[in-house]
Parts: sequence; C-alpha cells; structure tokens
Amino acid sequence: MWIPVAGLPPRLTLSSLVGAGRFCILGAGAARRKPLQARNRRGLSDSAPQLCPDPDFRKSPSRVKSKSTLGFNRYITSRRLAETMAQIVCGKQKTPPHLFLECNPGPGILTQALLEVGAKVVALESDKTFIPHLESLGKNLEGKLQVIHCDFFKMDPKGTGAIKPPAMASQDLFQNLGIEAVPWKAGIPLKIIGTFPIRSERKILWKLIHNLYSCTSIYKYGRIELNVLIYEKEFQKLMADPRNPDLYQVLSVLWQVACKIEVLHKELLEPSQEKLYFIQITPCRNLFTENLTPMNYQVFIHMVKHCFGKRKCRLLDHLRSLTPLDAKDILRQIGKKKEDKVTNLYPQDFKQLFETIQSSKDCAYRWLYDDRLEGRYND
Amino acid sequence: MAVLWGRGVARLGRGLWPSGRPGLPTEEGTLGGLCGPRRSSSASPREQDQDRRKDWGHVELLEVLQARVRQLQAESVSEVTVNRVDVARLPEHGSGDGGRQPPAEVQTGAEGATPALFVHWAKRLDKDKRIQQMRRQRLEKQLQRRAQNPGFSSEPKRLHVEPRLLSTQLTTCLQGCRREVPERPWEEQLARVLQEAPRKLSLDKKQGQQLKTRFANRQQKILAFLKCCLLTGHQSLAHHLLVTHHSQGRSQKLLTLDMYNTVMLGWARQGAFRELLYVFIMVKDAGFSPDLASYAAALQCMGRQDQDVGTIKRCLEQMSQEGLKLQEVFTAVPLCEEERAAVLKAVLKAKPTFKLPERPPSPVNTSKLLRDVYAKDGPVSYPKLHLPLETLWDLFKQQLRVELASSVRLKSVERPVAESKEVKRARETLKALRLQWEKALWEALQETKERLEREAHTGLPSMFPFLCLLDEQEMVQMLLQALQALPTQGESFMGLARDLGARTFGRHEVRRQQLGGQVEALKRRYRQYLHLLASDSKVPEPCLPRQYWEALGALEPPQEQPWPLPVQVELGRLLAEILVQATKMPSNLAKPRDCSRLVPLLYHVYSFRNVYQIGFLKPHPAYVQLLATAAEPTLTFEAVDVPMLCPPLPWTSPHSGAFLLSPTKLMRAVDGTMHHQRLLENCPPAALHGALDTLTQLGNCAWRVNGRVLDLVLELFQDKGCPKLGVPAPPSEVAPPHEAPLPSSTGLVCKAELRRELARSLKEAREMHSLRADALYRLSLAEHLRDCVFWLPHNMDFRGRTYPCPPHFNHLGNDLARALLEFAQGRPLGPHGLDWLKIHVVNLTGLKKREPLQVRRAFAEEVMSDILDSADNPMTGRKWWMGSEEPWQTLACCMEIAKAVRTSDPATYVSHFPVHQDGSCNGLQHYAALGRDSVGAASVNLEPSDVPQDVYSDVAAQVEVFRRQDARRGSRVAQVLEGFVTRKVVKQTVMTVVYGVTRFGGRLQIEKRLRELSDFPQEFLWEASQYLVRQVFRSLQEMFSGSRAIQHWLTESARLISHMGSAVEWVTPLGIPIIQPYHQEIKIKQGGGGLQSISYSINADSSLKPNKLKQRNGFPPNFIHSLDSTHMMLTALHCYREGLTFVSVHDCFWTHAADVPIMNQVCREQFVRLHSQPILQDLSSFLVSRFCSSSRPQKLSQRLEDSKLRETLLAVPKPGAFDLERVKRSTFFFS
Repeated sequence: MWIPVAGLPPRLTLSSLVGAGRFCILGAGAARRKPLQARNRRGLSDSAPQLCPDPDFRKSPSRVKSKSTLGFNRYITSRRLAETMAQIVCGKQKTPPHLFLECNPGPGILTQALLEVGAKVVALESDKTFIPHLESLGKNLEGKLQVIHCDFFKMDPKGTGAIKPPAMASQDLFQNLGIEAVPWKAGIPLKIIGTFPIRSERKILWKLIHNLYSCTSIYKYGRIELNVLIYEKEFQKLMADPRNPDLYQVLSVLWQVACKIEVLHKELLEPSQEKLYFIQITPCRNLFTENLTPMNYQVFIHMVKHCFGKRKCRLLDHLRSLTPLDAKDILRQIGKKKEDKVTNLYPQDFKQLFETIQSSKDCAYRWLYDDRLEGRYND
Repeated sequence: MAVLWGRGVARLGRGLWPSGRPGLPTEEGTLGGLCGPRRSSSASPREQDQDRRKDWGHVELLEVLQARVRQLQAESVSEVTVNRVDVARLPEHGSGDGGRQPPAEVQTGAEGATPALFVHWAKRLDKDKRIQQMRRQRLEKQLQRRAQNPGFSSEPKRLHVEPRLLSTQLTTCLQGCRREVPERPWEEQLARVLQEAPRKLSLDKKQGQQLKTRFANRQQKILAFLKCCLLTGHQSLAHHLLVTHHSQGRSQKLLTLDMYNTVMLGWARQGAFRELLYVFIMVKDAGFSPDLASYAAALQCMGRQDQDVGTIKRCLEQMSQEGLKLQEVFTAVPLCEEERAAVLKAVLKAKPTFKLPERPPSPVNTSKLLRDVYAKDGPVSYPKLHLPLETLWDLFKQQLRVELASSVRLKSVERPVAESKEVKRARETLKALRLQWEKALWEALQETKERLEREAHTGLPSMFPFLCLLDEQEMVQMLLQALQALPTQGESFMGLARDLGARTFGRHEVRRQQLGGQVEALKRRYRQYLHLLASDSKVPEPCLPRQYWEALGALEPPQEQPWPLPVQVELGRLLAEILVQATKMPSNLAKPRDCSRLVPLLYHVYSFRNVYQIGFLKPHPAYVQLLATAAEPTLTFEAVDVPMLCPPLPWTSPHSGAFLLSPTKLMRAVDGTMHHQRLLENCPPAALHGALDTLTQLGNCAWRVNGRVLDLVLELFQDKGCPKLGVPAPPSEVAPPHEAPLPSSTGLVCKAELRRELARSLKEAREMHSLRADALYRLSLAEHLRDCVFWLPHNMDFRGRTYPCPPHFNHLGNDLARALLEFAQGRPLGPHGLDWLKIHVVNLTGLKKREPLQVRRAFAEEVMSDILDSADNPMTGRKWWMGSEEPWQTLACCMEIAKAVRTSDPATYVSHFPVHQDGSCNGLQHYAALGRDSVGAASVNLEPSDVPQDVYSDVAAQVEVFRRQDARRGSRVAQVLEGFVTRKVVKQTVMTVVYGVTRFGGRLQIEKRLRELSDFPQEFLWEASQYLVRQVFRSLQEMFSGSRAIQHWLTESARLISHMGSAVEWVTPLGIPIIQPYHQEIKIKQGGGGLQSISYSINADSSLKPNKLKQRNGFPPNFIHSLDSTHMMLTALHCYREGLTFVSVHDCFWTHAADVPIMNQVCREQFVRLHSQPILQDLSSFLVSRFCSSSRPQKLSQRLEDSKLRETLLAVPKPGAFDLERVKRSTFFFS
C-alpha cells in the first residue's frame, strides 16, 4: 500500500495531484503510531493540471480526514513558479551562495529549482513520506542539500515537556547546522523560504511576531529573512494602514513596525482565481531602540491590541485605560488631535506613541499594563 | 412644570444641603424644622412616601435658596429657569391613591413658611459666606446646564394609571365604569370583569435558543423590577410599567400572569381597590385566567377595604367556577401573618362559617433507610451542647449583631509594621481619601438614581428600585469595602459586578428582615429552640433540632428568592461603574495639596487571552503603593465568610437554615442556576428530611481553636514561613526581580533572557502571594476566634456531598487547617480512647499503612519518647512530627497523647481531639458493593482480613502478570517495562478511574509518573504509558468486573438520555433529587453602554440543551458520589441518635477517641443497609418513568430512540456473589 513517491518523475508527481483537487497519500506505516493514517494534501495548481500517469494514485483510498492541527500543508507543484521564485530570491549574480531553510518542501520542486540556481538548501520536512525522495535530490551535490525531519511552524513549542518530532527546538537545529548567532544590527544570517500552511496563517504570523519582538526562537540568531507565499487576503491585511481601515488590524501594525515587507512576485491560482503573493519580510535594523526593547515589547503589543479592541474609539479614550499619565499631554507630544481615532494612526505612529509614553519623565508609573493579567505568550 | 424638573432641581437642593452628614449639625437642624410640621400635617403618611416627601422638602428649600440667589444679585443666573420651578404643578397623578399625594394645604403651608425660613437662611449665609458663594456658583452653573439641555425642559410623562386595552369589549366595560360615580361601581365592576372570558392567546412562534433565552431574560428583568418596586414602595411605578408594556402589542407578549399578580399584590397591601381592578382588567385583556394568587390579592384588598358582602361573594363564586378551592388560598399562596388576617377577614364576611384549614401534622419520612432514625420508640440519646442556656443566648446575640452589621473587621496576624513617620502619613492620606470618596460616591449614587428613575418613567425596567433597597449610606459603605478588597493586580469587571450584586442582595435580605419585625420573632423562637440544645435545660421528649424548630410554630413565609443572574449582574455593573466614576485621587500623592489635578483611582483595562478580551478594573499603581506602605492591620470579611458564634438555625426547608439572617442556599450551585432549587421545592417536604437533618447536625458540632498549634504556626508565619510544613513564606522571602536600569550595552538577546527570568520570578511571587493571603485569612480568623466556641453551618453540592459554608476557615482545608481545629465539647477517653489516639497518630504519619491495628499501636508505644518530645519541644527537639505525612495534625495528636498519658488515669482524661476514620478508596468500595465483586471487594477491604489490603498494589500486581505474558510473547514495550510496574505508577489512575478518568487522561498520569523515574528510557514514554493504561483498565476490568459493567451501564444510559435532549436526573436512596447541571453553553450579551458590554455564558440553565459529553462522563462519578454522601448521611444520623459528635470530610469520618468503636460499627451497618437496597433497580425504574415517554411518539426515529433507551435502562447489570454482610466484620473498611 505504500506509495513510492520518490520514484515518480518530479515534473509529473505533484501537479497530478491537483487534478483531483484534494489528494491522499498513505503514510509510511512503519514510522507511525497509527499505521494506516492517511492525510489530505492540497497542491498548488499549475496552470495546466495534468492527469496522473501512475495508476497507483487512483487506486489509493481517498478522503480520509486529516487530524493535523495546523491544517493542510501546501506544496509548490508548478515547475515554472518554482523557477521564478528561485531566481528572484537568489538574484542574478550567483555569488555568494545563500543559505536557505526551506519549510515543508514536499515533493521538492522548489528545492530543485533552488539547487539549480546554486543555493545551499536545508529542507525542513514535517512529513516523513517525502524525506527519502528529498534526500535523493541532493545525491550528487556535495552536501548542498541537507534534509531534516522537522516542522518549521512547530518550532519551539510552548509548554514544558519533551518536544516530540517533527517539532524541534531551534537551538538544537541551528547548532546541528552550525549556524552562529549574529548581532541584530548586522546582516541577514539566513533566509527562510516556503509557504504558510493553509488555515493557520494567522496563528503562525502571531507566533513569529512574538518571537521577533522578544528576540527568541529563530530570531535569536539575528534578522532572519522570510520569503513566503501568502494568500492575497492575508497579505492585504498584513499591509493595511489607515488608507484601508477595514482591513487594518493589530497584526498589520506589529508587522509593519517590525519589518520591511516587499512583494517579489504575484501568482494567480488557476481554478480558484485566488492570488498568491510571494513576499519578502526583512526585520528592520532599527526596530529596537532605547525605549522599545525585548524587555518591554509586551507592553507595546498590549497597547496595540487594546487600541484595536475598540477601533472606532478615540485614541484619547484608549490612552486613559493604558496609562495613568495625562492623555492630552501625550497626544500633544506626538502631534495628534483629540478627536483622532485608532484607525487614523499609521503603524509608525503607534511606535512613536509607545516611545513617548515609555520615555516620559514626570511619573514613576507609565503603564497600567500588568504582566499578570496576560495569558498566552508570557514566557 | 414637571416632575422631572422638580426632582432634577431638588437634587441641586440636596447638593447644597449636606443633610445627614456629620460636621454640619446646624443645617441638619434646619431640615428637621422644615420637615417636622409637614409630616404631622400629612393626612395619612405612609412609609413609602418618605422619599417623595423629602423631594418636596427639597423643592421648597430650593425656592428659598433661589430667593437667596436672586438677592445676592447673581449676574448670570437664569431667572427664567429658576422661576419655572413650580411647586403647585407637581404630579397629581403621580400615584394612584390619594394618600400618596401631599394634600393641598401642606403646599400652601409650605409656601407660607418660606419668608421665615428665608430669614433663617440669610443669617446662616452671612456666617458662612465663602462656602455659600461657592455653592451658589455651582448652582448657577448647573442650573444653566439644565436650562440648556432641551430634554429636560420638555413636559415629562405622567405615570400611567389607567390601562389601555386591546379588547374592545373590555374597553367599553372600562369606560362604563369610568363614567359612573366613583366608589360604588368599582365593586360591581370586579364581578363583571371576572366573568369576561379571557382573550385567546396567540400561539408562540418558534424561536431559536438564543432568542428564547434573551426573551426569558427580559421577562425575568421585568418581574424582578416589579417585585423590587413592591419592596421599596414604588407601586405606582410598577403599575405604570405594567400599563406601558400592556398597551404595546409587542411588549405585551413579555408579560406573564406572575407580573400582573405582583402588581396586584402591591395594591392589595395598600388596599387600593380601583388600581387592583385595573390590573384585573388587564389580566383578562391579556388573555390570562386569574389564579390563586390573583384571587388572594383581590380578597386581601377587599379585606382591607372592608368591602360589602356581595362583591366578596361574587368573587368567591367566580373562584369556585374556575375550579379553585378557597382552602388553597391559605395553604398554597405564600402569605405573611398580616396578609392572611386580611384575607380571612374578607372571607369570613361572606362565609361566616369558614374555618381556616388545619395545618397538617408535619409528615414523617417513610424511607426504609431512615425508619430507624425517625422511630419514636427505642433508645434515643441525642447529644446536648456543653454550654448552658444563658451562655448560648449571649452567643446568639453576638452573632445577630455581626449579621446585622453585614461585615466583620478583625485584626490581621501579619507582623505589624513599625509606626514610622512614613507609615503614619500614608494612613492619614488614606483616611482623607476615603472620606473624599465617601462623599463622591454618595453624590454619584444620587445622580444615578435620578437618571434611572427618569428611565423608569419612560417605561423601561431600569435598576431604579434596586438602588433604593439599601439606604445610601450603607450602599456607599459597601462600595468602599469592595474598593478596599480589590486585589492589587485588578479584578475582572464581571467578577466585581457579580460580587456587588450578590452583596447587595445579601444586605437587603438582612434589612428586610430587620424592618419586617422578623428579627424579633427570630429572637423569641431561637430562645425557645436553645432549650433543646443547652446543657442545663430539659425538653419534654427527645427530638431532632428540625422537628423541635417546626414544633415551635408555623413556618414563616419563604425568604425572597435570589435575583436572576441578569438582574444581579446589571445591578452590580451599575455599582461598579459608580465606583469607577466617583473615586478620584490626586495625581501626586506625596504632595496632595499642591497638585490639583485629579486622576481616576480605578482604570478599566483589558486583558487578552487567546481570542477573549476581558475587562479588568485596576487600581492606580500609586494607590497600590500607598496601601502597601500603610500596611493597615485590619481585614474585613463578609458576615457569611466567618464561622458562626452560635448554633446555626436548623435547616427546615430548601431556603431556610444556617445563618440567622443572611440567605444561604441548601444546595450550592453556580450563580443563576435555578433548577436545583426548583427540584428541591417541588419534592415532597418529607423526602428531604434526611438531608436537612444531617446538615443541621453537622452544623451543630461546636468547634474551638487549638491554641498551642496556632501559637506555633503564627510564630513561623510571622517569621519566615516554612513552605515544607505548609506555612507560606512572606513575599519578602522571594528573590525580588531586579529592576535596576540595564547598561545600554546590554545585548538584545540578553535582554530577552532577562525578561523571561523576570516573568518567571514574577509568576513565582504571585503564587507565593496567593498562598500567603490564603494562610493569612485562615490564621487571622483562627486568631479572632481563639477563645471562642464557634459553629460551621453546612450545605451540600448538587450530589449531596456536604460542605461547611464559611470558606476560609473550616475542617475541609489542608493539614494545617485541620490541625487548628478541635471539638469544643470534650469527652473522657474511656478504656480504649488512648489506644485510638495512638493508632490515629501512626495513621497520620503515613507509616505502617499495611500493618494491622495492633502493630500500629505497638509502633506508637515504641516511638513514645519521640511523640512526647514532639509535644514538649516541637521546634527545638528531635522534630519527629515534621517527617510525617500530615505534620501539623501529627503534632496536635502528639500533644493530646502527651497530655493523656501524663494524667493519673488516662481513661478519665477529657479529650477534645477528633479522631479520623478513612474509607480506603471509597469510590471503588461503593462500586464493588454495587457489583458484589468478590475479588474487588477483598482488595478494597470490604472483606474481613488481618492486614489491610491495598488495591493499588493489587492492580499493579495484576498489571505485572499481564506484562509478563506480553513480554514472553515478544512485545517490545512489555520488555522495556520490566521492573517499572509499581504501585506508585498506577495509583493515581486507579484512584481516579472511579471519577471517570478516560484512557487519555490515564495515559497522561502514567506518563508523568514514568517521567519521574530517572532510569526509565525516555524515548519509550509514549508507547509505555499507552500500554500501561490499557493494562490498568484491563486489570480493573478483571478484578472489578461487576463494577466496570455498572460503570458502562451508567455511561450508556446517560448517553442515551442526553441524546434525547434531557439532563440526567435521579433521586438518591435518601430521597434527594439530583440533576446534572451540564448544559450547552450559551452566551448572553447584556446591552452595551457604560464601561463595557457584559457577556457571560450560562451552562446551567435546564432550559438549555444538555452537554452530551459532560452528561455522559459525569454520570457514573456523580452517581457514586451521591451514594457515598448517602452513606455519610446515614452514618451521621445514626451516630446522632447514639449521642455521638460526628463530622465528616466526605469519606473521612471524625469523632471523639472514646466513640470510635461505636462510629465504626454504625458506619459498617449503614453501608450494608444502604447496599442491601435494590439501588440499581430503583435507579432503573426511576429513569424509565422519568425519561421514557408513556405515549408512543409520532416520529419513527423518536420511537426507536425511546425503545433503545428503555431497553438499555432495563438491562441492569447482574451482581456477583459477594456476601455483603461480611463488611460488618471488616476492620479495615474504614480505618
């Protein structure tokens, strides 16, 4: 019953999955606790879906519901898209070869494209099924490809207790790869490339932004650049500001303050007419200042959350529940008017607001925020 | 000019005139002078008019002031505005009956008094010019503001009196009577109205669950509003609201017969016949047919009004035509003495021969299990308290004082801080601030009241009457108390709101009883009751406290029901908002005089938890600092949180018992759960006797504090604490998080590390703090009660398990709490008492668990020198007691033994020490007895044996057998587990299996245990735990086959029942009705506005769909708990009959050392008797009659479900062959 994915010609493999829309591959029995667990996979469409030449695929039992917590993974199956992406991220000149961590490469089409343009790739694959195939890709490349069983999006799980694979501690991973931490102000140590899993984009964005502001997990190693494919809807929210107030939200502010976000490429998905954006997220060199540090970033996040809790309210009213300082005075200092609403503030304004309060001198008590009232990302 | 105007301005007057507050006695004198003559000239003063009249007084005073204002030639006072205050045009229809309206001559009289008063005021004014000036300015400002506000100057609505009807037929009849001359025809009218057929009710449309709940909530709110209006004397307002709603088609659907009856009752109490009739017309118009309560109200009114015979006769005729019995008016409708007399007067007029129905003799419980308890013959030696009558009477008076004051202030046992200058200043600042807040709160309360009254006048059921329940001063004090109790890190807004609502209700209940003269009645009755308990008085024949109490006379009408949750929360929210708005503090506390800027004291902040956003109220950090500096040495508790100083009232019904005045629930439940109460009320009174008597008896046990242990604990507590012994350390012992400014060169990653460390230490400090606070409360209460005798009133949870009501200091707490308590009543040890003490001390140490009793006793004698050393030098000696499992109790027991052995004859030593007997794995004992499992019964000590059996070891051994088999067969996991299957690994899972732990939870428990083993290969954790939990379940299946079958049967039945859409209900063998309060959650959102919108989820309302999973998983453990509580109750009642002191902590029974053998015997006998009943058969037949429909349902699917359920319920598992009688001879059943 086990399907030798590795044996398929790469061009045909996964694009064929698209024809069915949803596809099912049997898990490798030996390694799993539930030997016959099957998972749904959803591939990204190629512009011209092809039928699967391998009869095995049609025989395979289908439609067993996945129990994965993070929902479906998406895999790049279009050779053309993979090549475009690889070219964009590597640039024209081939020196020096960048180090890429690729999240969930699946069939390895992008991996191959990256290797072809001369990059060094570490493939972090959460599904053991794909691993033999991926390893076969790097056979003749003198260690340019390294495959690790790891789920990038479950890196450094919360809570105590043993970390069960495919989750992993970033410390172990980076140590194994021999990557050293570089100071924040220095350059970019490595790049991540991949696709956000469907349905949990927001969850992952939240997790990453917390890690970024607190300089933990992968961001302990410096300003790591993300190159990811993201759906248009989520992208618009991420980039929203007072000009499109309906989409403007906490995540937009936090990400735009922290990072430079650039669109590298747009791709239209054929059957659903959905747009995918290939974006580059680079943490800002000057994100941390004297007033905004990994020590007090939580207050900043809380402040933004508080403001967007009642987004139609005036900023003045929010300030009164955020700080015991004189709200009007603060507004004057950041040059805002009394009747300004939350949605009138640009992301950078929030940072300025925060720093103004944080640096205020007249009172010992600057914030009403209390660590103890928060629930989730505390430690 | 308008009511609103009048009132609005009147408030200004009040603002100008600080009556009732200390410091301005002269002005108070003025008030008296003003009101005095008015009160005497008022034709028929009624209490509820006082508010209104006060307003009148204010208006007049205002006129005087306005004159003053004018005379002082204020530049910008709006003359027009002032002139518009027109006394003569105050409402004429503000109330229904003439008595409520100030008579005309009073008005003129008041005007006549104006000049004199003016002179009086002018004098005052000269003296106090500066203050007056300020006030004048304020008045001007406010007057101007009012004048500018257009909403204010508009003509306000008058209160409606006459109904607007929907049915034309009734309308004509109404008009008919309006045209005629008043007085006579009203009576005729009633009869005619009564005969009118009610309008057809339109059938309710189908509504969604959400809508339905919202609709029900609105109804509850209206009903609560009307009831509350009655209590505060705002009948006309209630009537107005009813009429407003009635006249609108849509809101009329909200009205229920209960609401009409409530308003009618209000009028009946006043004897206002015309208004009563109006309501009657509305009832007919709305399509209801009047019920007993309506007729009772009508009769009461007629009794008061002295109506003529004809009307009453017609009324009674109509009643009998509708099939209502006159007798039932007196039995089924709750009436107080005076109301009953009025009704009787009316009835006697029409039927001179009518006789009040005889009170039926209180029924006696006929349950088989309780027959012995209530048997009149046979030896009875109910225990008496050791205190004489007069002492008890004094104690009662003390407790009454405490409850009337509603709160208790006591000294904290925290080590007092040195009285430095700083501390003194902080305390002074606090005092000054509190005075300011008191004033501010009072004003804010006034303002809110007025706003809400206006709202009520527009026909909204506002919170106005609820705010009138308590007088302002008390309300303000309550708010200040809440402020003081606010935790420094803030409290959730919702929590505070609930709390404030509940407190208001509690205080109101106390006030109501005080005003209604019930306190006096209680005093008389309690004094008589004490004759039963006191050591120096005799009663003619022995009886139980409840029986005696009932025999003392008719029961008082039931107490008021707690308000529905929406009302409680709404009121609490309002009060919390007042608190936030009114309290302010100077921005710079160090120099309060210099800085004029006031900042709020409380801030409304949000906390984010996942997707939830929770509103919190958080005090200003400077205030927190101030409180910490001041370190005030007092703690304030609500009266119900402190143990009682006299024997609690016996439980006589689901709503009367325990505390003297404060309302207490017989069955504790989440706020807003009504169905337990409903079930309890609907079951026959005798069925509850077992539970009521047990709770009474448990509460009647007198306690005292073990002073020597307390001294030792306090010493540790005030020093550095000792977490190992359960005495939490003070916060100063935790390493304080370093907040020193970091050098700017600190790296980012380093900062991140620091932050995490900071968070960790904060978390630690927080946990310490809460532990510390808990201990502080407990020890402070213990210190407070050190030289007293006190009582712990009890109630029960929904399964019948009993708990003491006072939460902080009781015998259910940890080792430390238990060690602090001993029986106030002593008993000589007798021949075997000392042996039991010795066995008990060994039991407490946790050593010799698997040895017979003789060995334990011998061991105690062996270590006697250690025991005596512990007792003599607890802190300096060899500290043997500290190594025990329950150190403090061990120490207390050591001291008791030392005292006993040092008396010349230990048998005569009077011991106060409670000795415990524990059931071994009590849940499994009940399962094993139900299923008659021989193997299982032996392993949980139902079978007599020389040494105690240990079920955990037995299960471990069984698992080991299976493991070896598997290992031989080549299972890798089984081989890895070699040598790791121990008692410790399986213990928790076996213990919790009774309480419904699943494989999932069991696996986690075992995984945790395995992880603790350092030499276990960690990579096998998952597989090994998975394997083990399966084996544990298999072993249990093998050993307790009958029990497991029963567990499955219960689960399956619950699944099917909840699948049919009902919550599982059953009746315990003692007759307590039980319902599982697990329902699907539903979110209730209460209107926005104010600080935040409030939403809360309800999952305990029986009208909701059941939560199938919880119903299913909860049934087996809850059923077993209901059995163990039954066993406890039976033991308690029989012990009481034997004259024993008995208390329990669920499956751990306490009594004096001398009485242990008797208690043990009773306990075993009752266990056998309980399980000799066909418990499962009874359950099965109850469930069939309750949940299987008697008629065949229409739909096929329903029919299938029904038959499946019936089939399952009837398939009661067959019991095994264990002979239950053997339990009687088992030593270690409870040991």
